[in-house]
Amino acid sequence: MSSEPIERRVSYLGDRLKACRCQCCGKEYFEVRDYCSICGRKSYGKMASIDLFFDKGKFELATYINEPTNKFMKLSSFIYGIVSFHDGKIRVPARLTDQLLCDGQDVDISSFEGREVIPRFRRRYSVGKGDVIPTISLAFTLADEYYPHQEYKIVQPTKEYELPGIVGYGVYTSRFRIKERNMERAVPFIDEDSVTASVEAGKLALIHSGLDSSLVGKVYVGSESNPYAVKPIASKVAQVLKLGEEDDDIQGVDAVDTEFACKAGSSMFKDAAALVSYPRSNIKNAMVIGADNSQAAPRGCPGGELDTFVGYGAAAFLFGKLDVIAEVEGWYSCTSDTPDFWRRDGEPFPSHGGRFTGDPAYFKHVRKAASKLMEKSNLQASDINYFVPHQPNPTFPVRIAKELGFKDEQFSPSLVINKFGNTYSACSPAGLGSVLDIAEPDQRILMVSYGSGAGSDAYLLRTTSQILDKRKRQKINVKSQAENPFIEYVDYTTYRRLKLGM
Amino acid sequence: MQNQPAIIAVGRTKFGEYYGKEPEKLIEEAWLAASNDCCIERKDLEACYMSDCLLPITNKLGLEEGFLSELTELHVPMEVTRSFSAALLTACHAIQAGVYGTVLVGGIEKMTDRWDKIRDDLMLLDDPWSYFAGGTPESNHELMLRAYIKKHNITGQNQDTLNLALAEIAVKNHANASKNNYAQYQRKITVEQVLAARKQSHKSLGLYDFAPISDGASALILTNESVAKEISDQPIHILGLGAGTDFLNYPAREDLSRFIAAEYAMNTASKMANITPSDLQVFEVNDQSTVMEMISLEDLGLYRPGTAWKSIHEGLQNSENTYTKKGTPLYVNTDGGLKADGNPLGATGGAQIFEVFHQLRGTADERQIKNADGVPKQGCVVEFEGFGTKAYATILGDKTR
Repeated sequence: MSSEPIERRVSYLGDRLKACRCQCCGKEYFEVRDYCSICGRKSYGKMASIDLFFDKGKFELATYINEPTNKFMKLSSFIYGIVSFHDGKIRVPARLTDQLLCDGQDVDISSFEGREVIPRFRRRYSVGKGDVIPTISLAFTLADEYYPHQEYKIVQPTKEYELPGIVGYGVYTSRFRIKERNMERAVPFIDEDSVTASVEAGKLALIHSGLDSSLVGKVYVGSESNPYAVKPIASKVAQVLKLGEEDDDIQGVDAVDTEFACKAGSSMFKDAAALVSYPRSNIKNAMVIGADNSQAAPRGCPGGELDTFVGYGAAAFLFGKLDVIAEVEGWYSCTSDTPDFWRRDGEPFPSHGGRFTGDPAYFKHVRKAASKLMEKSNLQASDINYFVPHQPNPTFPVRIAKELGFKDEQFSPSLVINKFGNTYSACSPAGLGSVLDIAEPDQRILMVSYGSGAGSDAYLLRTTSQILDKRKRQKINVKSQAENPFIEYVDYTTYRRLKLGM
Repeated sequence: MQNQPAIIAVGRTKFGEYYGKEPEKLIEEAWLAASNDCCIERKDLEACYMSDCLLPITNKLGLEEGFLSELTELHVPMEVTRSFSAALLTACHAIQAGVYGTVLVGGIEKMTDRWDKIRDDLMLLDDPWSYFAGGTPESNHELMLRAYIKKHNITGQNQDTLNLALAEIAVKNHANASKNNYAQYQRKITVEQVLAARKQSHKSLGLYDFAPISDGASALILTNESVAKEISDQPIHILGLGAGTDFLNYPAREDLSRFIAAEYAMNTASKMANITPSDLQVFEVNDQSTVMEMISLEDLGLYRPGTAWKSIHEGLQNSENTYTKKGTPLYVNTDGGLKADGNPLGATGGAQIFEVFHQLRGTADERQIKNADGVPKQGCVVEFEGFGTKAYATILGDKTR
């Protein structure tokens, strides 16, 4: 669709699966309507707007598509059908996503029928390189597989903390992996990218926090793989997750994308924490997302060394002062102009400085930020329960952790590099998520991000008792995604194809 | 009924692929064929009702009326609709109202001019939300078959028979088309071929279950009764007309296992004609797929919902081209249907009328059907726009007999 207004209207309804219900007769519609077509004018003004975004549906009828229309060619074959919500009150067309079907494969269609499915926010279909990227949530996954259904229940907060902190978080990665030697790396499905991962992670964070999405006043999305050079990911996140007060079709939220290689997201933690603490800001909560479909040239090409490590994923953190699970006790940031890794505008893949990405870049900055913050806070390595470093490859984080005096049990719970690969902007945030998944109340976490170019942000966090209460709400955590029985492994060729997207 | 519309001549092109021909050339050919069949000339036409579904997309032709005016040097009123039946319906209304006495109704389509994108266009226009979710022009048919099987709880042996009956529909239509010189596919196929194509596609429906992409044109000359009496020995009258509409979005429809629009259109047409559907001997239905042919028969009231496949299978066991209905034969798509005759959207309805016209006149050559009391007296044409989003039923009859 090259028509921008049509694209806006389709994605406005389709991304969130906006629907409505007649409060006179109960009939439901997949669209926004001013009145019910059964009740007529008496229903005017009585149409309740609902949406199916956090809902689950039933795959009612299925068929197999192996000769798709042109725009779906890159999917080659998929399961398609009709999904019903609310016992058949609403029926929508549906593509089953996250399924790699071989061409020429016999598929038992009836085995998909009757199963519960969850709407997923994905790219809709292929378009030209210069076009707006169409998205939709008429893509579904099976609720009894990789991604279970979770209810989004708004919970009234009970306690205000002195310091701002994390009130909810979510780590998202895809169902697909490439496994080489001891390393597993997350691979996006062909309809995923950094935009879809950002929305997914944000969705998980909202579910975990129990926070009313209208209370989020600012959203930052940090990524180095935004499919657009100009157009924020954050605006999509704000619209789809309905962040801030909704007025007509505009969200009362400030949304901005940030960029600083792999610390684009984590750099904003302190800004979010500061913002929610500033009494005049009127912003109670802020969301920070780090997301990347980490780019790397194919092996054998210049820069292709990265192709051994890159992954896919996003991590979202909600900051606020109510019902905090981990308070931000302090931070330290450092920056120097060190060109160890870069991607020129218009280039599809990044370049890097080879051996110089180590000592003069990663180690120098991570070491500086970590030791300065420990010094400032008057803490030794032994006073800290968990250390979360940035993880560009399996060796760097281990070396720096040991050098800073951390023991294996302090840093290894944070290592997600061997599970998801280097997820760039989502990397240290996902490591933090992994630690928050298991941390006990009143524990100290030191997280140090790293962004090429170069700089580091060190954060000192202290968990609260509420970390245990909220943990029950999140079934989709780092462990469930790393050790999921429904993970599907792909070969190198498929990995490259999926990563390039639709 | 001085203003009862009557068809006095029909014409059409062969359906298929016309790489070298402009769409105007096709309609010219169809119109000339109709005109040669009676003594009506260009100057006698008081208006033209044309149909094409996709010309603005396939050929970037807007205001097709202007092209036709240039071609014919006619300056009479011209209107374009999307389907031939819609054009005919509008033309009939004008005749009934006494506005015109003689009009041309024609249809054109040139789908192969956009071969590479036509499936996307068809699906996007038929059902946009389904297209956005990944649906294809075939997928709604497959889903409807699933809905039908589930609703009527057709399992085991019965399901096998149903699948076989659908294959037999395709075989029957190809057998009929083998006697139709205008048909796109004038060759017979076997049940084995239909089943093999399904197996190859790994689906419940395969290549031979679906109508093709076609080019073609059709035309007819419609007059009021007095003009018809004057210039034709055997006009075919429009006895009944009906149209119905359903949701664009197939998944949102109330019942996924039938076409409400077809039922509505048929009810209206049979009321107007004062004929019950089962009194009609010959039907042209809109078989975009074999499933559609089967389900249409139920929507038209010929079979009880969930049972058509039994009679189809039974009938085709004993005969090459008839279904059974309470012991009497039922002829459906004697020209080969959309499946084998071809389906150039705007022209399709014209070919269906063309067939029934000839069947009622007894001039259908090798395809002519004969009952105990001779050639049929009434027949019915059902045409769809989209996936059952619009349906038109037209009942034709020879009042001279």
